[in-house]
Amino acid sequence: MSSVPRHLTLRQSVALVWRTLRSMRTALALLFLLALGSVVGSLVPQIPNSPDRVARFQADHPLLGRFYQHAGFFDVFGSWWFVLIMALLLVSLVACLVPRTRASIRNVRQKPLHAREIDAFPQYAERTVRAEVPEAIATSQRVLRRRMFRVSRAEDALAADKGALRELGSLVFHWALLLLLIGSVYGKGTGFTGKALVVEGESWTDGAANYDGTIRAGRFFDGDFTGVGLTLHSFEATYRANGTPMDFVSHVDLLDPGGTVARSADVRVNHPAVFGGLRFFQFGFGYAPVIEIREGDRLLYAGPVPFAHQAPPEGVPELALPWDGIVKVPSVTPGLGIQLTLWPDSGAFLQFQQTGEPVPMLRADHPILFFTTWKGPLVDPSPRSLDTSVMQEGRKGALGEGQTCSLSTTKCWGPGEGTPEADELTISFPSIRQYSIFQVSRDRGVPIVLLAAILVLLGLLPALYTSRRKVWVRAEPNGEGTVLKVGGFALQRKPQFEEEFTKLIAEIERATTERIGAS
Amino acid sequence: MTSLQWARISNDTFNAAIFAYLPAMLASFAYLAYRRRPLLLVARVAAVAGLGAHLVSIVTRGLAAGHVPWGTMFEYSSLLAFLVVLAALVLVEGVYKVTTITGFAIAFSVLTMAIAATTRINTPAAPLVPALDSYWIKIHVVAAILGSSLFALGGGVLTILYLVKDGRERRETAALAAESPAPILGASLDLSDPPHFAPGADEAVGSLAQSSRRRGILPPSAVIDRMAYRTIAFAFPIWTFAVIAGAIWAQQSWGRYWGWDPKETWSFITWVIYAGYLHARATSGWRGRGAAVIALVGFASLLVTYYVVNLWIVGLHTYAGTG
Ligand code: HEM
Repeated sequence: MSSVPRHLTLRQSVALVWRTLRSMRTALALLFLLALGSVVGSLVPQIPNSPDRVARFQADHPLLGRFYQHAGFFDVFGSWWFVLIMALLLVSLVACLVPRTRASIRNVRQKPLHAREIDAFPQYAERTVRAEVPEAIATSQRVLRRRMFRVSRAEDALAADKGALRELGSLVFHWALLLLLIGSVYGKGTGFTGKALVVEGESWTDGAANYDGTIRAGRFFDGDFTGVGLTLHSFEATYRANGTPMDFVSHVDLLDPGGTVARSADVRVNHPAVFGGLRFFQFGFGYAPVIEIREGDRLLYAGPVPFAHQAPPEGVPELALPWDGIVKVPSVTPGLGIQLTLWPDSGAFLQFQQTGEPVPMLRADHPILFFTTWKGPLVDPSPRSLDTSVMQEGRKGALGEGQTCSLSTTKCWGPGEGTPEADELTISFPSIRQYSIFQVSRDRGVPIVLLAAILVLLGLLPALYTSRRKVWVRAEPNGEGTVLKVGGFALQRKPQFEEEFTKLIAEIERATTERIGAS
Repeated sequence: MTSLQWARISNDTFNAAIFAYLPAMLASFAYLAYRRRPLLLVARVAAVAGLGAHLVSIVTRGLAAGHVPWGTMFEYSSLLAFLVVLAALVLVEGVYKVTTITGFAIAFSVLTMAIAATTRINTPAAPLVPALDSYWIKIHVVAAILGSSLFALGGGVLTILYLVKDGRERRETAALAAESPAPILGASLDLSDPPHFAPGADEAVGSLAQSSRRRGILPPSAVIDRMAYRTIAFAFPIWTFAVIAGAIWAQQSWGRYWGWDPKETWSFITWVIYAGYLHARATSGWRGRGAAVIALVGFASLLVTYYVVNLWIVGLHTYAGTG
């Protein structure tokens, strides 16, 4: 009965989807969905930013946690629905941009079109000037050209327009958004981020096994590490009198894949070193006391051990906390583990003991090292943690820099003093060093993203602040002179155009009159 | 002079600025109600005096802290309030020649300053930590504050006034239309398209407004709407630039230009909403009230970006001990 077809043909459906995608309303709706999704991402803890908070949330709210998990709320910006919104917005963007760009190119090529009824435009004026028609037209053309209009001339009429920059800017802006997204997806997809922990005096090489903790790699990461490296000569932390940090700097040599020094560099906060396509950022630092374990004269273990902080309790400055470290000696049966606690500044430690007030330790000054020994199987494979549940606690003690202690009697002595028994286990603390943690990342998309961001800004300015306007002139002979009919309109900034139009008329009138006066 | 002395001067001039803004605001509101020129003069003199004291407060704060005076939230708030008053005087009174709404902008600024002075935002002047001691962060913050102040003026103060005035005009138009015979030259009024007024008009003009029983005390809604749009269009590229500068800083100091942390996320949300506003202005059916509502949502998002993220969401991280 109805003449409307029940089913759309495939072609019609595609056309409908395309039309919908091209509409400004769709773009508006997608922009709001994007904002809404981001709100969720900022309120719910996110796995990439704070995995511990996510775990805690799931423990506290099991049911809601399960729902969030399935909805992708714990990783909004990587969830299928957020990516879908982005993708739809991109398709919509392209669907808008292709026809707009084509139309814009056509417009630029085409001369301004002549109008038939000039007096129908919002701005209109008539002036009678004492000049012949060709002369009046030529003068008007000159005035319009001087005002940067594009002019197309007929025998007794002009058509002029100005402000193509607005459309151009808008196109540049929108295309640049697309480029920005492409650049960031490319860079993140093929790049990675990891942490490198390097002790003073030691070297590090870019290789899969040498990163501290996990490497966060993009989906298309090809796994080709560069083999470049660095040697950390020294790390310096400087503080102001009130204990707030002033500067953190690592003095490094950057190494070619062959291991030869390419150049030296200072890596500080906000001043990364760029080398071999990698960026090295100053990320963290800590103490690495050199520890030696001996059985009689036989060296069982030697090397700097990186120590770390626990998270500080509320209101306690992080640097007031002692540092913790682990040494494992598997060659002793059934296994020996030593838990170590370092107070870099013994003065601060004593003051804390006396007053109970935590004192920030800004530099190493007569450090003291406390130790607790554990005997038993070393079941935890990680070098930084010790599973003491299957071990038996042994002796505890403390030693200063340069000292050696017996692990069985806990008696200590200075360099060259004591003589341990042949099978006696001893711990020595010959010196203290620092380590530096570098965040190492590769993102090949950065130059693209930067270029896109610049284009976004450059496009935005004319897109928002210029306006498109058109002017038509027709000259008709009238007894001894010519009647100039001038009409015009602006697509944007109409009040400003009214002023501009008034000035334009005055200028045309003046120019034609002057010409007469001169001849 | 010592840091402490500078800090004292800064505090005193901060209070002086509030005590100049208050009479400026009152005189401005009184002018709105009674339209006596001397009131306008008093409002302007007091506002300019307040701006002067405020400027001294900002500069001395920087001298006390030993860095640019936009390193803490108290300093952002102070600068933001300063810029809102300045923008109201320069843009609205200077460029658009509208004298009746400066009081609302000053009220916003006084509120911002009072919140900054009486809550935990108020921290003493102190040096910056290394991560904040960067060229880009300084540029980023100053652009973000400038953008925020213009969004607050355009998307907040002006948009609210627009909605109020537009609502009143609609009611008046409806009331007039209900009267029979039709009052103006026998023509019927098109309710869906309220009349537009001459640009720059301050006093209510046009036959409709004059024939209505109560003269409007605000400029015609079309005038406020245009000012709101211009101010937001002014702010948008500045905000865009601020986000880009922030990303450059993040790249330098953390090795990634974008990581969706709460601050980044909310400045993105605000940006997207105002992009939506600019689109809505170009979409039929969304001009006027629809676009204004979007601008208000953008203003709410700005407030969240500024207060909620800085004081609560970021604070949650430290509470959870993920440091
Ligand atoms: C990716 C998200 C987008 C953002 C952030 C965005 C942002 C903007 C901004 C800020 C403007 C104002 C500048 C100007 O007037 O040129 C604008 C204008 C415009 N946008 Fe978008 N846009 C987006 C996507 C789109 C899409 C998908 C379409 C297609 C429907 C579109 C079509 C337009 C058009 C036609 C204008 C010109 C409006 C005018 O001349 O007043 N945009 N856009």
